Amino acid sequence: MARDRAVRVWEWIAAAHEGDGPVSVAAVCRAAVLRLGVDGASVAAVSAAVGREPLFASDELSGLLEELQFTTGEGPAAGEFRLGAPVLVADLESAVARWPGFVPEAVAAGARAMFAVPLQAGAIRAGVMSLYRAVPGPLSAEELADVLVFADIALGLLLDTASGVSRLPGYGPLDGLSDSRAVVYQATGMISVQLGVSLEEALVRLRARAFAGGAAVGDVAAEVVSRRMRFDPGAGANT
Amino acid sequence: MAAIVDERLARTFVELADTLVGGFDLMEFLHMLTERCVELLEVDAAGLLLADGRGALQLVAASTEQVRLVELFQIQNDEGPCLDSYRTGRQVIVRDISAADVAAQWPRFAAAAVGMGFANVLAIPMRLRDQVIGTLNLFGPEPDGLDPAVARVASALVDVATIGILQERAAREQELVAGQLQAALNSRVIIEQAKGILAERLQITPAEAFMMLRQFSRNNHRPLTQLAGDVINGTASIGAVDGAES
Repeated sequence: MARDRAVRVWEWIAAAHEGDGPVSVAAVCRAAVLRLGVDGASVAAVSAAVGREPLFASDELSGLLEELQFTTGEGPAAGEFRLGAPVLVADLESAVARWPGFVPEAVAAGARAMFAVPLQAGAIRAGVMSLYRAVPGPLSAEELADVLVFADIALGLLLDTASGVSRLPGYGPLDGLSDSRAVVYQATGMISVQLGVSLEEALVRLRARAFAGGAAVGDVAAEVVSRRMRFDPGAGANT
Repeated sequence: MAAIVDERLARTFVELADTLVGGFDLMEFLHMLTERCVELLEVDAAGLLLADGRGALQLVAASTEQVRLVELFQIQNDEGPCLDSYRTGRQVIVRDISAADVAAQWPRFAAAAVGMGFANVLAIPMRLRDQVIGTLNLFGPEPDGLDPAVARVASALVDVATIGILQERAAREQELVAGQLQAALNSRVIIEQAKGILAERLQITPAEAFMMLRQFSRNNHRPLTQLAGDVINGTASIGAVDGAES
């Protein structure tokens, strides 16, 4: 069941958390390396303002691959992910015609398989998670399913770090993750108009309102869509 | 089946095939598919569920509000013939939802479906070789109202739809399938976000906003998902003149 998988993946991530700060994408990367049979993981944030900002790399090669893709503009994680689909390259060498400026150097440095997943919800694209392996080979169906959940959680963490709610005691992004009802996305659109902000900011605010109030994200979204709750620029949410 | 239905059916296959080439928009295709099924097969309502790669089904299209609720109900309660069809990869035919054995097998689903006025359901898996990517589910108002010919035709339509979604007959790699499913589901999210934006701007319901989007998409030959993107980044003229351009 999807919920069981999400609970399990979150436990892995929480267990990989180090230090006193809130759980962040660093724990996501560490857990990915431990549990997914990959040799390295990295997360970069993406924004219109800053472009691309590396946030964490589990090892030196991950950092190098990130840098290389950024400078060449080529590679699994370098694209726009316009469709929202992950880019899964089981055999990097075979992709040399596709990314001639990237593949030879990446392979020489030790990467033989790469998997890049956008941290995305519709038109909201907050970042990219990249994984590599030192030997070629595809992700198994189980591993791929886990990777997608890792990405969901990483997206939640990026949004909740921005608002600060990830610092709240007892925080866990599972709630916002498990609810993929249409109302959450509709409410995001509505809130973006109410506040005059981007969709990403609207989702940050929606999640923050839910977590801070101890309510489920989907329930707050339903309130917004049924117009029992508005988000006003002046204050927080009004009911 | 009557000759007139054969003709409409043939046109539907041509229509579906046409959408598989230039200007193809997956979301519009899936919504159209559910509508055509209802028209052609004389069922009450149709719903379409796609797998999200994490083991969960997502509702992608529903021809009526009632069927939308019944499909969501199955997903949220993890119970129902549509879920069973997805898991087993086989058609599930329920001739009479109010029958005792049906209520014993799927108690919550049976109560909800009967409450919504549905008496029979046919759940058809969307398969490519060994992989099931979702289900198309047809609901009718009468017990035993399902024609076996309907089931066969529906299967054929579903096969075309599955190819349309995967866009590659030779898609062997599971990863390719997973990627395309993710893309399909991401399109759906974009459309939901655009619905919310339009609903708030025009002070209408998301359902009304969706009808507006589809109408505008057809009238202006702008693929649905791209139009949704236009709404989101503020470049769409929909809603500016309250549909007068449509």
